Amino acid sequence: MSKQTSIQEAVGTIDNGALLALGGNALHRSPIAFVFELIRQGKKDLSLIKTAGALDVDLLALAKSIRSVHAGYIGFEMFGLAPNYRRGVQKGEITVHEHACASVIAALRASIYGVPFQPIHGFQGSSLPELTGLIKWITCPFTEKKTAVVEALRPDVAVIHTNIADEQGNAYIDGAVFEDLIMAKAARRVIITAEKIIDSATWTVQPQIPGFLVEQVALAEKGAAPGSCAPLYSIDEKEIHRYLENPQAFLERKVVVSHV
Amino acid sequence: MSSIITLEPADYMTVAMARLIQDGERIFHGVASPMPAVAIQLAKKHHAKKAVYLSIAGTADAVPTEFSRHTTAGANLREGAVSEFLLSDIFDLSARGGLDVAFLSGAQIDEYGRLNLSAIGSFQQPKVRLPGGAGSAALLPTVKRAILWKTTHDTRSLVEKLDVITAAGNTEYVITPLAIFKRGKQGKLQLYSIFPESSFDEIVEKTGFKVEKHPQYHVFEPITEREWELLLEIDKNGSRFSEFR
Repeated sequence: MSKQTSIQEAVGTIDNGALLALGGNALHRSPIAFVFELIRQGKKDLSLIKTAGALDVDLLALAKSIRSVHAGYIGFEMFGLAPNYRRGVQKGEITVHEHACASVIAALRASIYGVPFQPIHGFQGSSLPELTGLIKWITCPFTEKKTAVVEALRPDVAVIHTNIADEQGNAYIDGAVFEDLIMAKAARRVIITAEKIIDSATWTVQPQIPGFLVEQVALAEKGAAPGSCAPLYSIDEKEIHRYLENPQAFLERKVVVSHV
Repeated sequence: MSSIITLEPADYMTVAMARLIQDGERIFHGVASPMPAVAIQLAKKHHAKKAVYLSIAGTADAVPTEFSRHTTAGANLREGAVSEFLLSDIFDLSARGGLDVAFLSGAQIDEYGRLNLSAIGSFQQPKVRLPGGAGSAALLPTVKRAILWKTTHDTRSLVEKLDVITAAGNTEYVITPLAIFKRGKQGKLQLYSIFPESSFDEIVEKTGFKVEKHPQYHVFEPITEREWELLLEIDKNGSRFSEFR
């Protein structure tokens, strides 16, 4: 049976309050088309998981669609800070679960391994464990060595934008996979968006994401723009500048919100 | 050199970073790190041919021919690489003691080489929410040595007390537009070298913690013709200037 659906229908399956892992890194191969549709459908109280986020997280902050973010970094790299995320946090509307990128990965791995927490080497001297409660110190039962542990993060849905997918959900990423394969294995459900959908009999490259892990697949041409999706397109610098100059006008140009 | 050129802080800082890289080391930089990205290639072409370049772009030892002024996580940083080596692999490598150098930065850095990239004001009710420390809380205590850099040198950036301690650990050097600090006695940063346009008095005035000279204190060696040629060749787009506004 085909898993292919529209991006509208795929977003329609997301509950308010869901915990979403978004693929990609910074301004690269993030599921921006999916994010626009989340906003159009007026989704609320979402929590996000990302190692390094940028436009994806900031758009959802602007639309007041999120209540918390688990991440190591949210910013636009050399373009500057993420203005709406920053404002949301400063106003107390968004809770920051500040991780190191490595502890986001470790928390996702705990879910992959089917265990409640994951030991991680790091965080010595950092105030983050105490400030966030995300990292706790335990004594190793074998060596009695003090070890940091992070609780499992099990995304309700991992949303991953890819270069090519087929109707069975097999998906291929051309270039950096970032943390996407980890997210796909850790999540309860996986939704793939793709620049191109092909017949599963016609693959000439080997997909990294196996279709059996994937619930739905939707076509999204230029689905990471104005971020990059290598090798098809790079960051649209003018569009990012336009966004940062006037995020609301940018969003209104892209999305007609259905619930207002 | 045939013509007179005015060197910018970005030129000094990038060359200084490159000089601190040793041959054979495994080196990582993360997001928003244009000077380290260029410096690693400069070192590899100059004196550290066997250094191994690792980045978020997910490959081992890429040889980029172009650098972006907007990102250091893009596909250009995969160019020329043979094998995959993901960000998660880099964190694991550092955790088991196999990463030699990490380039990291902070909005605030203190005299112990600790950094804050979390918040100005309190963490829970910040005056300014910052991007977050990215990999630093896991990398700084586990990497063999970290080289920190900061594009501003003033008492708001080099502080006596951090608003939040995002990460602490094995900081060996801190590079600013004016100077290089190196960790010395009692784990405190000491003045290691001053760039040509600055002075000891200026450093003291603009640093929030007490400035003492490191035993290895020396005048910064002028950028050589070879370094300059390589810098221009590697960083044709001037990405090294993109963090300065």
